[in-house]
This record gives sequence, C-alpha cells and structure tokens, in this order.
Amino acid sequence: MDKLASLLHTTPAIAWMVVKVIIVFAGVMTLAAIWTWVERRGSAMIQDRIGPNRAALFGKIRIIGLAQILADGIKMFFKEDLIPADANKRLFWIAPFLAFVPALIGFAVIPFGKSFVSGGVTYHLSVLDPGNGMGLLYPLAIGGMAVYGVLVAAWSSNNKWGILGGMRASATMVSYEIGLSLAVVTVFMTTGGYDPSEVIGAQGHLPWAWNIVRQPLGFIVFFTCMFAETNRLPFDFAEGESEIVAGFNTEFGSMKYSLLALAEYSHVMTASALIATLYFGGWQVPFVKDPTVMLSVACFLFKMLFFAWVFVWIRWTLPRFRYDQLMHLGWKVMLPLSMTNLVFHAWRMSQGH
Amino acid sequence: MGVVVKKVELSWLDRTYVWPVMKGMSITFGHFIRNLFTTTAKRYTIQYPEMRHEMPAGYRGLHELKRFEDGAIKCVACFMCQEACPARCISIEAEEFSDLNITQGFEEKRPASFKIDMLRCIYCGMCEEACPKDAIWLRNNYEVAAYDRLSMQFGKWDLMNTYADADGKERISQDPTPTVPRRTIVM
Repeated sequence: MDKLASLLHTTPAIAWMVVKVIIVFAGVMTLAAIWTWVERRGSAMIQDRIGPNRAALFGKIRIIGLAQILADGIKMFFKEDLIPADANKRLFWIAPFLAFVPALIGFAVIPFGKSFVSGGVTYHLSVLDPGNGMGLLYPLAIGGMAVYGVLVAAWSSNNKWGILGGMRASATMVSYEIGLSLAVVTVFMTTGGYDPSEVIGAQGHLPWAWNIVRQPLGFIVFFTCMFAETNRLPFDFAEGESEIVAGFNTEFGSMKYSLLALAEYSHVMTASALIATLYFGGWQVPFVKDPTVMLSVACFLFKMLFFAWVFVWIRWTLPRFRYDQLMHLGWKVMLPLSMTNLVFHAWRMSQGH
Repeated sequence: MGVVVKKVELSWLDRTYVWPVMKGMSITFGHFIRNLFTTTAKRYTIQYPEMRHEMPAGYRGLHELKRFEDGAIKCVACFMCQEACPARCISIEAEEFSDLNITQGFEEKRPASFKIDMLRCIYCGMCEEACPKDAIWLRNNYEVAAYDRLSMQFGKWDLMNTYADADGKERISQDPTPTVPRRTIVM
C-alpha cells in the first residue's frame, strides 16, 4: 500500500480509500450485471427451461451463456436513445442516476471483511471506516432516497402507466419503511450501538448467537420489507407487466433503461449485504474464532450472494400481490409484528437478559 | 341469480403465510436442482440446430418424387396431382420417351419438367393421395426455407434428390433409360 501511495504521490490512507472504493463499487456493479444473467438462468431452471446459453465469445467460447451480459451491454449502449416529446427532459435524464446512485452507495458502510493491521496501521474493509457516526442509519436513509429514482422516472416520462407504477411503488416503499426501521431498531437496541462493526461484533462467530436466532420475527419482517424496498416480486408494484405495461420505466430505452435495471440489481446486492450484516453475522465465519481476512471476505460474499439468490428464488416462486393486500400486509401485519418484536426485546432487556 | 363463492378455510399454519411460502420455495428449488443436474440433451427443450424433433410417421413435409431401382422416375405424367392440388402449385410438362410400349411392360410417358412452387404449397397431401403410381410422397423434412423466392421453385431433379442422402441413394440429374420391364401384363 505504501509503495502504491508513493507511486501515486498520495498518502497511504487516500490510496487505500481509492482502492476500496474501486473494489467495492466495481464489485457490486459487476455482481449486479452478473445477477441479471443469474436471474434469467435461474428462472429458466426453476421453470424447466434452459435460458440464455447461446451468447458466445468470438462465436465460439460459450461459457454457459455468461457472454449474454456483454452482448446485452453492448446492445444497450448502441440503441437509439429516445426521449418522449412531452417528457420533462431534465428529470428524464437525471432519473436513471437518481435510481442507480442510492442503490449503489448504500453499500458504503457495510464491512465486507475483517479489519487487519499492517505496518502499525489498521485497515478496515469497508468504504467508510467504523465510528463514522452514521453506521447502519446511513443505508436506511439512502434506501429511503431510492424512491425518488422511481418516482422521478415515472413523473418525468409523462406516461400514465409510468405515473401509476411510480405512485404505487412510492406508496409501497414508504409504508414498508416503518416496519423495516422498527425491525432494525430492535437490532440496534440489543446490540447497544448502530455501527455495523459493533452489530457484527455483538453477534460473534457462533451461528446460534446470530440475530436470526435471537430475533426470528424481526428477521422475517426485515426480509419481507426488503423485498418491498428493492421493488422485487412479490412486491414489484413499480412494474406490474400484466397491469400497467412496464410501469415506471415504460418510456425508457437504451442505456437509461439499462441503468434502471442495474439499479434494481444493485439494490438487491445492497439489501442482501444488509441482511447478512444485520442477521447473519456479517463477515463472521461460523465456528472459526479468528478467521483470516480472505476467509472472512469469502464468507461475507457467500452470505451476500446466497441472499441475492434468495431474491431471485422468491421472485420465481410467488405471484405478485394485489395492491390492497400489500397495503394490508404492510400496515396491519408487518408494522404490528415489528412493534411486538421491539416491545418484546425491550422487555427482555429490562429483565436483564 | 348470484353465484355462491365457496370460501376456502385455511388452517392457522397456512394463514401465517410463512409456511406456504416455504413449501412453494421447496418446490421451485426441487425443479432448480433437478434441472441443474440434468444434461441439456435430457431436458424438455429441443435445442434446434443441434437437436431435431423426430417427426411422427405420416407427417406431411417436403415432397419426394419416387424412382425405380434403376433410377427411372415412377411418375407417368398423368396430371392427377396437378388436378387435385388445391393450391395449384404443381405444374407438369409431359414427354414421350420410349420405343418400348405399355404392352411390353414399359411406361411411355414421363414428366419433362415437374415443378412445385413451395411458397404456394400447403402440404395437404392431396397429390400423394391422387397419385395412381405412388410416385409422389410427402415425407418428414420440415426445414423448407430459402433466402430468395426463386430457390423455392422446386424442379424435377430437386424433388427426386430431396431424400437421396437420407436414403443412401445417389443423386441423379438425368433420366436413365429403363431396361427392366415395370410389370408383366397378362395378355
């Protein structure tokens, strides 16, 4: 790190920061792109189909269809970029970025591996070091901002299907935010802090001490609300194909559409990382007290990708909810459940557990 | 009159919603695992250029003009198929070809040209049924496509050679002189 820093004429701290930012954001974006392929192949497997397996590098190397991502990317770049005549041009341009950026930067506080000491300096494997004062409140706040991307995309395209989709999605996201936040508050309460490294440290390396075992109810609420937050099936009200054409992205094409789609998958990645951090011990390796850095990173990646796969898996298992059912579930089931969870754990703590 | 909608009473376990979701997920995961460990050849999907569907017997595909063992065409240019064709895609020109006559067991008429417009043909099989000599058959080749309209006009030799490779016969482009009598006529 010192060598790299002197090579670039900066301090090691800045060089390390740059490396982290590149690794994290390039990694999440790559995973999001790969997940579009996983989604298509996975859905095909679940439905007894085959899925995209034809795209090949140089027309020869097939690598089980992974080149599809590249082909799609190139295609998206070279498609005509249409803006509807009555659209609000400025917002129409900004909307994909408003959707994409919050989905990506929510990842910044999540530690994806164990901190290590090298040459007397502690290196933390998260973009924002622990003790930054924001902790896990930051991804929640950013997650709340994601609704702007959907809403602005819907509003600016001046399309009735788009507006319907955007309105439904924003209503969903707002109503599920409360249950989600209360579930997370319970975790903060039992941990005694909201810094992700504290949350991970409090869970320890034994699987039965993880928050999933301590607060299964909270996990169910959090997990369900995450589906609503990421706008994924069974709660994908932003784009109900059978009801409102393509929803909020009806008018979007070429790279703008691609960015909106990537935003969804980046959101899935961030959500999976949050689930792994809050309820499954983050980078903690089960039964290994003091794992090596690489092992902890691998373990975190495994957990995260598993939950990202669960997002895909659930999508192809459950049909879409009806809107009133969704509101019923959000306000009358999820909110009381997370309230119960909060009160129960507050009571337990008052009893000195 | 109203219709009485039967309400399904769910058990408490089903009403939690978590248990049915897990049941559903186990079903989809079963499908996923089964497909993951099935080779592509054994899946339901037929991957077309590499794998082809085996057509059932009696499938009406591309036509073949049949020939005798010595290579002579079976068709006697009677125009029955041309008359029977509802799409009017067959056009035949007849010719006289042999000094040997019917009393000696030889045909004396054959098509000089036998054209089928594959763009018009509806593959109904009426020509096959009309043929008194079993000379035209519809077989199992369903890949009838070309880049231009002209290549969809099938001539006599195209039709005779359609299945030559599949049947292990040699391709011919000339009418051989018949040597063996086709049938013995009891005088």
